[in-house]
Amino acid sequence: MSWLNGVAAAAGRGAIRLLPAARRDWAEAVWAEAHEVPAGWPRLTWRVGGVRLIAKEAQMVRRAGILVLFAVAAGAAAWGAWPGSPVSHGAAVRGGIIITVGLLIGLPLLSRWRLGPPASRAARWLRAGFYAAVLAGLPIQAAVGLFVGTVPRSGIDRHTFDIFQGPGVPGSSSGGPDWGGEVGILLLTACYLAVILALTARRAPVAPATLAIGGGAGLILGAVMYAVAPLGFNVKYPDRPWLPGSEAVVVGTLAWILLFGAPLVAGAIAGRRCHVPDDPAEASAARLWQGLAAGLVSGGVGALFLTVSGSGSAALLVNSAWVRDWLYHGQHLTASAVYGRELFASQNAGSYFFLLVGFPIVGLVMAVIGTAIANPAPRVPDSGQLHPAAATSSIRENWAEAREVPR
Amino acid sequence: MGSRAEFSPQTVSVLAALCGQPSEWQHGYALARQTGLKSGTLYPILIRLADRGLVEACWQEEPAPGRPRRHLYRLTADGLASAAAAVAEAEQAAAEPASTQVRPGARPRRGRGVAAPVIP
Repeated sequence: MSWLNGVAAAAGRGAIRLLPAARRDWAEAVWAEAHEVPAGWPRLTWRVGGVRLIAKEAQMVRRAGILVLFAVAAGAAAWGAWPGSPVSHGAAVRGGIIITVGLLIGLPLLSRWRLGPPASRAARWLRAGFYAAVLAGLPIQAAVGLFVGTVPRSGIDRHTFDIFQGPGVPGSSSGGPDWGGEVGILLLTACYLAVILALTARRAPVAPATLAIGGGAGLILGAVMYAVAPLGFNVKYPDRPWLPGSEAVVVGTLAWILLFGAPLVAGAIAGRRCHVPDDPAEASAARLWQGLAAGLVSGGVGALFLTVSGSGSAALLVNSAWVRDWLYHGQHLTASAVYGRELFASQNAGSYFFLLVGFPIVGLVMAVIGTAIANPAPRVPDSGQLHPAAATSSIRENWAEAREVPR
Repeated sequence: MGSRAEFSPQTVSVLAALCGQPSEWQHGYALARQTGLKSGTLYPILIRLADRGLVEACWQEEPAPGRPRRHLYRLTADGLASAAAAVAEAEQAAAEPASTQVRPGARPRRGRGVAAPVIP
């Protein structure tokens, strides 16, 4: 019995560190009180109760569930993306997978240490969505890359390949490892992850409503863009089975309006909804900051949604007959024509990189305009309009104050 | 103000134990013995009561030689009022015949021949 008591005591003392600072006193209280409980079974059950208390207060079941879910999803994504030995660009792909998973594990730990845990349910959903998008992107990227890189042996397919890609070595991959492409994607992934972790952390001055507004606007933008161009902005081949004829023009126009309008409206709403301090200069800066965050989130979420769904469709197109039949339903295509479209769609997947860079920039610019329109800067009696430098310094102060909030 | 509807029977038993000697600081083990609750049930209740400002806690200033400091608990003024009300309500409910007890907030059903509850 004494060794069981010792195990329970050691487990409890070690687990106290998992608790938030405000709860540690209570766990230590249970441990201190154990000395008053009669030795043997009563003391053991007392300590087991203490371990239960820690598990409950530290939300260990939820944390363990999230860890298991991430491990399963990351394992499945890596397994799906891991290239076979004959692939010449395998080293770059393997390196990309390992570093991506490392970033997904390491950066949140760094962010938690410096900026605190996620601040709200909206923050957790945003992070979870980003993780799902990145993990889904691994096998998609591998499937599309393999198709684009494989040279047909002969015939019209070889001719089509040479037109699109240039001459390659028949029956093998078209080139060596694409280190530049992998590094570019890794840098982009790291930037996205860092920004999302920073915006969703407890010490970041971003309201949960701002994240929800930006995320919602981004999802609408991404969904409409995907409806217009499920395989990228491919003007060569029509591939919208759900938008026949003139409807495509209407939805296409809506997509362009949303590209600029969604972050504009998100920025305006987020700026108006946030709680602001009484001081006009600080209030203006706070509104601007919330608007910027909403615009950035809407652009980023829209680009991510479009990238994963679009490149995912291209990956499915080259691997699944029913997707081909669905996308080109009613079009009587020869096998060679199908190959040409698959190759074109797979090549198009590379252009999503530019959307991932461009959409957040558009989002930021439009959000500034939206915030300025919806929340005009207050006039200071002596010096007129609020000076931009004042707004910038207030943003810095917001960050500095937020960093002082205890974890 | 606390009422029986807000507190579980276990919480009411903790409040009753604290209410017995409201001015005295009490230990967790003493409360566990009085209420019959295990530590895994007692301490979450104390935490919630402290979060609501009904219980205050502190560490013992002079522990017994060779023993760690103990955590002490007692009711706040709000806690005392809530505890008195909850305990009185629980005692009243226990004293009433089962047929006259109604769930707080429950509406009397129509057309089923059930008599309306008598509100004292």
